[in-house]
Amino acid sequence: MTITTNDSQVAVPSDTVTVIIDGVAVAVPKGTLVIRAAELLGIEIPRFCDHPLLDPVAACRACLIEVEGMPKPQPACAQTVSDGMVIRTQQSSEMARLAQEGVMEFLLLNHPLDCPVCDKGGECPLQNQAMSVGRPESRFTEDKRTFPKPINVSAQILLDRERCVSCARCTRFAEQIAGDPMLELLERGAQQQVGTAEDQPFDSYFSGNTIQICPVGALTSAAYRFRSRPFDLVSVPTTCEHCASGCSLRTDYRREVVTRRLAWDSPEVNEEWNCDKGRFAFVYQTEGRIEYPLIRENGELRVASWPEAIDVAARGLAEASSHAVLVGGRSTVEDAYAYARFARAALRTDDIDFRARALSDEEHAFLASLVAGSPVSVSYEKLESAPIVLLVSFEPEDESPIVFLRLRKAARAGTRVVSVGAVRSKGSEKVAAEMVWCAPGDEAAALASLPADILAALAHSGAVIMVGERAALSAGALSAVAALADRTGAALAWVPRRAGERGALDAGAIAGLLPGGRPLSDAQARAEVSELWGVDSLPHPGASGDALLARLGTVEAAVVGGVELADYPQDVRAALERVGFIVSLENHHSAVTELASVVLPVAVVTEKAGTFLDWEGRPRPFTRVLRDALTMPDAQVLGMIADAMDRPVGPSDVNVLRAELGTLGPWRGARLEAPRVPVGPRRDGLVLASWRQLLDSGVLQEGEPHLAATARPTVVMVSDATARRLGLTETATLHGPAGIVTLPVEIADVAESVVWVPMNSPGCHIYRDLGARPGDIIRVTAGGAL
Amino acid sequence: MAISETTRTGLREIADRYPSARSALLPMLHLVQSEENEITVEGINVCAEVLGITPAEVTAVASFYTMYKRRPVGKHHIGICTNTLCGLLGGDAVWDALSAELGVGPNEPTPDGEFFLERIECQAACTHAPVMTVDWEFMDDVTPRGACEVIEKLRRGETVRSTRGPVIRDFDATEHTLAFPLDGLADAPSVDSKMLAGLTIAKQRGMKAP
Ligand code: SF4
Ligand code: SF4
Ligand code: FES
Ligand code: FES
Repeated sequence: MTITTNDSQVAVPSDTVTVIIDGVAVAVPKGTLVIRAAELLGIEIPRFCDHPLLDPVAACRACLIEVEGMPKPQPACAQTVSDGMVIRTQQSSEMARLAQEGVMEFLLLNHPLDCPVCDKGGECPLQNQAMSVGRPESRFTEDKRTFPKPINVSAQILLDRERCVSCARCTRFAEQIAGDPMLELLERGAQQQVGTAEDQPFDSYFSGNTIQICPVGALTSAAYRFRSRPFDLVSVPTTCEHCASGCSLRTDYRREVVTRRLAWDSPEVNEEWNCDKGRFAFVYQTEGRIEYPLIRENGELRVASWPEAIDVAARGLAEASSHAVLVGGRSTVEDAYAYARFARAALRTDDIDFRARALSDEEHAFLASLVAGSPVSVSYEKLESAPIVLLVSFEPEDESPIVFLRLRKAARAGTRVVSVGAVRSKGSEKVAAEMVWCAPGDEAAALASLPADILAALAHSGAVIMVGERAALSAGALSAVAALADRTGAALAWVPRRAGERGALDAGAIAGLLPGGRPLSDAQARAEVSELWGVDSLPHPGASGDALLARLGTVEAAVVGGVELADYPQDVRAALERVGFIVSLENHHSAVTELASVVLPVAVVTEKAGTFLDWEGRPRPFTRVLRDALTMPDAQVLGMIADAMDRPVGPSDVNVLRAELGTLGPWRGARLEAPRVPVGPRRDGLVLASWRQLLDSGVLQEGEPHLAATARPTVVMVSDATARRLGLTETATLHGPAGIVTLPVEIADVAESVVWVPMNSPGCHIYRDLGARPGDIIRVTAGGAL
Repeated sequence: MAISETTRTGLREIADRYPSARSALLPMLHLVQSEENEITVEGINVCAEVLGITPAEVTAVASFYTMYKRRPVGKHHIGICTNTLCGLLGGDAVWDALSAELGVGPNEPTPDGEFFLERIECQAACTHAPVMTVDWEFMDDVTPRGACEVIEKLRRGETVRSTRGPVIRDFDATEHTLAFPLDGLADAPSVDSKMLAGLTIAKQRGMKAP
């Protein structure tokens, strides 16, 4: 946009128009709203309902301005500019000033005097604008309208109806952005109020955003209500640790305790939104933390000093002749890099993997050849302008919610979304996804026989293929995805669920790959890295994935950081039990600390600086929030162990680690081969489909009951036809090798002969309870007691 | 009561009448009322399901319009217009008389479920002010006494006719007509000379809208 003054001769592109606001000329693109044009000049017009990411409604009338030639005041938030338009705001028009003052007085008639106890007090647009454009005193002497205080629109979100100014931001967010129109303006006139259907709460994964955009204190969360005043909080911009969407957040804390988290502006990633998990799931950071180092003595863990614990860890690791390193998918890039370096330089092993979940060798090859160390190719912005986005083994709403929001935005503007899978999920419906039906396990076959129109669309410039981490469970799927991208020219994105996976991959926390996607088998790559690390040699390519897990039973020592054993489909505990010496870097007790010889407490995200790479491959750095915390990041603890082993690995300061990674940069040499796993055999029988829901039994969601109460119910989903065939009505029982699970039946749009259950939700943890994985043949019987 | 299969079929039929199914919601809600005597949660959910929208969206519409009731109406709905013109010309007195006769206030049903009293807004029938409606049929130029007589007759089960012709049935039946207006019950246009007086004068004097 160009800004011109009256006498300047700046050339104005033809798709712009010039308007005069309060006597100042400004050139803006055609179709610009008056309120936006005024912002360009630094003129602030009051507003409540206006929000740049929502469609205009002109519901609150706070923004009235004078437009020359129009008899009545116009809403600046809905009035688009036209060439030569002369606009006067409250700054220069008595009409506008009086109109705004009148509206403000009107809005305050029924507004309670809650400010001293209202969450929004101190950061409230109503307070602020009542001061800036309202009358100094109210003339209203009658009784104010009241409502019973507050009502639950969901277990998490509370509504004080008398505070509402009926701006419809929350309802428009629900409908336009989230696609969950379960919050509406009900009743009429003075009784108009926000509400839900009687028997359907506002259980949207994105519900917390409504609190943030509500211009008054009408919407509050059960978690934060009455906890703090905004002016008592210290705010720090951070990055969400819950998934690979990479949201910018603002973390607010008081007296070293985090009180709330908000979505922070990041137009290129999360715009101004986030999901409820990112917003509300942070209690784990304070509750149940391991406070002191622990060492095992006579079978029991006892508290030890740091020097003693480091000493024991170093000795145990040094004495062992074989090692394995398991890094959970939640590490920062810097910590993952520290594990990668520690494994190769201190333990001299390449037996390392960050994938604490179902995985495959095919996936390793896929990541090594196509993902590791590669620059951002598919971005959020690219999704928005893509003609077609093909989703494979990927449920964005559950597995990467901001991808879902961006896809929804794209779909509303015409992007064609196609999902290759077994369930037309609620999320698929909200992005109007077409289905390419296939049972889990048959993805490769489905991709090999895509309809011609989809193939043709994928060949258009800007086409995108997104594949989720669950593709690792389906033999040949990732090979087929790679081949399809190759054949059509579509851009390819791999979307892991966890925040740390992409970073750990690029940091080299996986066997066979050094930082930046360098193949460990490449002499040049080895030379670059060993020089940086100051080591004579690097280990030979080791074991990752299933081979590593198989080898666990035979190694003498293991270093395990932030791994939940329940996240593996196989019984890793049995293997770890045979490892003589385990060093666990953790912040909570877990199945690993139960087996560990040494437990070293480490910092959570608020206690350290770091970076997550989001699914795009975009670095999302963050600073330390709690300055007084005494905990150390994993990197620092590993550095201390290395020093004590007398095998120093170099500095562990986060800035140095970042600099080292920067020095190495991405690998530009030859890459490993893309996988060529053939299409697997077709199987007969009932196939299990499953993924992790956004809100589930995940350990980082612990301690937040209101959030948990908004999770989707645990059900088994089948098609009508399959239900009839199996005689399923109220409940169904799934029989797996490890046990049975009985759940209510929900008839849904599911492929024939497929049953879907959540992977890790209360009442159904498929690995533990059933001993089954997605793609397995499963027996299902009708009935069973819940 | 549960929504019957017949009503469900009717709801789908109404939805099919409109190019944009959502437009069908108003008549559909009338059909729900014709069976349920009010808008029930089940009724809301069935409409939402038929139209593929959320129950909240249906609730928003159902709670906006006063013709949709969220408590049982009973047998007959009695509306008394108390807006300016009717009110001044006797509507307030009619209201007082009926409220005393039935022993209920606004938006309340009588304990026997026979009548439901409501102050209604201008029915665009000011020509015949004050007006009262019985199951949405007009009683023109009503008096307190005449209104009470209508109630008496209905209590005795006698046939009552609207001053404009139609026989009064009951609330549910009217709701069904509102859902299916082409049910063959419509009479000839009930326009009389009083209603056209203004137009007649305007024509005589050659008056035109500016
Ligand atoms: S919403 Fe704003 S103005 Fe209203 S009570 Fe709360 S702080 Fe005060
Ligand atoms: S609750 Fe808040 S966001 Fe929603 S309509 Fe009311 S004032 Fe606006
Ligand atoms: S901000 Fe313009 S009408 Fe609300
Ligand atoms: S005022 Fe009663 S019908 Fe118009």
